[in-house]
Amino acid sequence: MGKQVRMFLKAALMISLGVVCLTGVASAKEVMYLSLADYTGPIAGLNVPGDMGLEDFIKDVNAKGGVDGVTIKFIGIDTRYDVARAVSAYKRYRRTPRLLMVNSISTGIGKAVAPLIEKDKRLQMVPGDGEFQAHLGRSFIWGPAYQDAFAAMMDWVMADWKKKGKSGAPVVGYLSWDNPYGREPLRGGKEYAEKIGIKLLPPEFFPPGTLKHDVYLTRLANAGANYILAGGVDPTPTNIIRDGYNLGLTKTIQFMTDYWGPTALGIGVHAEALEGTVIISFFQRGEDARNNPVVTDLWKRYRGSMDKFNEVYGMGMSWGMTYLAGLKIALKAAGYEKLEADDMYKAYQKLTGLNKYDIQGPCAYSPTSRLGSKLVKIYRVKAGKIVPITGWREAPNAVALHTF
Amino acid sequence: MTEFIQQTITGLMTGSLYSLVAAGIVLVYKSTHVVSLAHGQLVAFGALFFWLFLSGLGLPFWAGLIPAFILTALLGLAIERIALRPLIGQPLIAAFLMTFAIFIALEGIFVLYLKGETRTLPHFLPEGNFVLGNISVPINQLIGFCVALLLFAAVSLLFRYTKLGLGMRATAEDHRLAQSTGIVVKNIFSYIWILSGIVAAVAGIATANVMDIYYMLPYIGINGLIVAICGGLDSLTGALLVGLLLGVVENVGAAYLDPLVGGGIKDVAGYVVLLLVLLIRPYGLFGLVKIERI
Amino acid sequence: MRPCGVFDKSYALDIAIIRTWQHWTILILSLLFLYLFPLFGSYYLISFINLLSISAMVVLGLQIVSGLCGQISFGQAAFMAVGAYTSSILTIHYGLSFWLALPLSGIVAGCVGIIGGAPSLRIKGMYLAMATIAIHFVVIWLILHTEITGSFKGLYPQPPSIGGFEFDTDERMYYIIMSVLIIMTYAARNLMRSKVGRAFVAIRDNDLAAEVMGVNLYYYKLLAFFISCFYAGVAGSLWAHLITVVNVEQFTLLHALEYVGMLIIGGMGSIPGVFFGVLFIRVLNELVMFASPALAKALPWLGSSPAASLGLLAFGLAMALFLIFEPRGLAHRWEIFKASYRLYPFAH
Repeated sequence: MGKQVRMFLKAALMISLGVVCLTGVASAKEVMYLSLADYTGPIAGLNVPGDMGLEDFIKDVNAKGGVDGVTIKFIGIDTRYDVARAVSAYKRYRRTPRLLMVNSISTGIGKAVAPLIEKDKRLQMVPGDGEFQAHLGRSFIWGPAYQDAFAAMMDWVMADWKKKGKSGAPVVGYLSWDNPYGREPLRGGKEYAEKIGIKLLPPEFFPPGTLKHDVYLTRLANAGANYILAGGVDPTPTNIIRDGYNLGLTKTIQFMTDYWGPTALGIGVHAEALEGTVIISFFQRGEDARNNPVVTDLWKRYRGSMDKFNEVYGMGMSWGMTYLAGLKIALKAAGYEKLEADDMYKAYQKLTGLNKYDIQGPCAYSPTSRLGSKLVKIYRVKAGKIVPITGWREAPNAVALHTF
Repeated sequence: MTEFIQQTITGLMTGSLYSLVAAGIVLVYKSTHVVSLAHGQLVAFGALFFWLFLSGLGLPFWAGLIPAFILTALLGLAIERIALRPLIGQPLIAAFLMTFAIFIALEGIFVLYLKGETRTLPHFLPEGNFVLGNISVPINQLIGFCVALLLFAAVSLLFRYTKLGLGMRATAEDHRLAQSTGIVVKNIFSYIWILSGIVAAVAGIATANVMDIYYMLPYIGINGLIVAICGGLDSLTGALLVGLLLGVVENVGAAYLDPLVGGGIKDVAGYVVLLLVLLIRPYGLFGLVKIERI
Repeated sequence: MRPCGVFDKSYALDIAIIRTWQHWTILILSLLFLYLFPLFGSYYLISFINLLSISAMVVLGLQIVSGLCGQISFGQAAFMAVGAYTSSILTIHYGLSFWLALPLSGIVAGCVGIIGGAPSLRIKGMYLAMATIAIHFVVIWLILHTEITGSFKGLYPQPPSIGGFEFDTDERMYYIIMSVLIIMTYAARNLMRSKVGRAFVAIRDNDLAAEVMGVNLYYYKLLAFFISCFYAGVAGSLWAHLITVVNVEQFTLLHALEYVGMLIIGGMGSIPGVFFGVLFIRVLNELVMFASPALAKALPWLGSSPAASLGLLAFGLAMALFLIFEPRGLAHRWEIFKASYRLYPFAH
């Protein structure tokens, strides 16, 4: 027994030493990118392909010699959707020089890291928290805020309602996860819906990982919903709509999802249930993404066959594009030796209009805006494929309608 | 009224899944007195194995079912032999924590395999709804419900009428007593984990039919645990009835109480039921009341 | 720990925690070291020690209710949340000073703990453990569904200050946290040896026998829960003012399970064991979290997310190996070491 224990302790020591050695080795002229991502928890379906895209993009940049000889180092930390873990991980890298970006992939983590980011004069990216557009600070949003997208969806609902020749106000139901992410869209989105004359039913919230959503769907249907917006990160929206299909609701109610609804990969055998679902997105999805050579080239180079291609990969690339553009400006302004995160913060505000190769609309970061872009596109599931039904259109400013 | 009946039936369908998951936990507890957190992972792996044979290898339904059962049973056996057997004689809380460690380790493998993707079982059961008046039930869930009932019947029969079942019951009663009558208790532990693995595979396949195979799937084990405890950890009947009851309470509660308290009843319904049950009947609704002596 | 040849010649000597002048030297030197540490320690190390200390407080509480009194509790994360929220609400909404809010949050958490511990009067063992899991979810649900707690938005408490001096960095908070931890450890160490502590142990070893001997089960079980949750509440309050944002997502069941894991690995019923356990799990966690970027860098074909899942696998395996090879906890090793030191240089 004693011997075994000693062996085990020795092995543990060796491993930890090895790890320390590995992390200790640093090469010349590097800048850091820290991703606080959930690789093994409920939103991994979004984080894993997203960070794959970013990692490949960075690899590509580094392979071409970086920016003036400065290479980018990607650090991906698995937070498991756990705020406490994420905060402690950020603290680990808090005093790392030239840590130019922290990507907090989760609304809850973004909110928790934000005060530290302000104190340290760094910058972070957050998924879609409109609060950071309302109080301009060092948190940048990936695309339009959740509430803006919600408002854009309401615009589409109104137009669709009129197109169908119906009178009166359309009734919209909303259901999502019972956490900060699930409630964010209504902060401003609700006000917008009321403003344009849509009747919004009381929202429904449920824990991630719920088996069946029949109760919520029937309640919304009984309350007379004409449209239902299903939140949550895929496969949650897919499962909601599948439940709706089984209840026979998809025939009478138009189902919609937010950014994290099904991707072409997720539709799979659910094609029949998901038929006709409307998806709002700030990045290219479905056929659009598969036809974008910038995205597919990188995928094919690093990942091979297109079978497993997920459109969120393209969104990950767009994080890399803004980072690269920001880095170029910051390097020019401060030079490598004096480069600090604050320079990157200034650089990000100058990225207005940056072209993202149509993966997203042009960048909208500016001194008065923290939105990654103002454009959204609306897609629909047709015969198992995701096809666009509108072009890029500007999402209304719903953040302004809410007092944060 | 129609709505109430509809919600109750939907609840029963979900509840039968909880019962199936709880059944595996009860089986293990009955004989080994270990409360297994790892069961959720067994359930998830059962579903994953089935998916591998069905979609990965393109086998037909029946041909995929058998190897999935075998692999999950082997996984259960491996857990017992490698991780839990060395802990015999240690406090039970250590075994409980061991199952937690196994849960985490297996989750690592599960997640490593999935790489952020979602796996969906192909439609292997008939689609469509069974409609009776205003009430409709998806046929595949109805089949799942029946399978759950059949499985419970089969396991109960096994316990009641076979020699193996007799051994298991004796072991459940008292380990030392069973050993003195010539039953090899350690072997019984292995059989129990194999059986629990098979039950887990059934539960996994039934669950994956409703909810896709992804990161949240193993966490249905927690619901199973609630059901097992409420029913009394050593009662199969308890697991079945409380599972169904929990499904109904969750669903009906969410239907009628959510508007009153602002939503989120499903988050806590199970736990509130659990607390109430434990306060009123400390050993679960159907559990064996143990008389303690100094 | 005492060297060979030291004997207790009087009762005062027998009950003393610190027995020899060597002990005093070690104690004073180590206290000095602890308080001077921020002057030369790296920032990361200090923030890590803060995290360790806060976890240690929570686990000390758990040691009292589970290790001493034998009532397994998985509710510790929720009680920590109660403390964190109480402290934040008192300082934000009622303008109370942190120094008052700190003990108050402990007391409030303790009172909630008495309610949470009430099932222990009827049930025990795994059933009680499950009841505390249920309490965890009910508490978190209540926090998420009330207005004053900021619901899903959370609260943003300010760092503590004293006469214009703000404890707004990890280095500064270190002093507060370390002082509180030292006081709490001392209290726990003494509690073990008091009448109350002995009553707890009697309940743990056999509650029926304890009752027959005249130990009031209800009173002592609830007291154990109160003290344990007091510890968790104080830890929660410190945590809230350290990271200055409170959110229900910081207090999950996984954390509660981790605390119990720390207790088991450290060793039930031993105060030094708490520190060993906390150190083991936290360091393992940290290694796993930071090994995966290193792993992803060393094996580029692997990618970040597979490396993260390998980390998970390693965590589970390490814990399993530990349970198999050292089931009595690290405290047991420590006892063996102490025993051999006392006899040194003799064999027996």
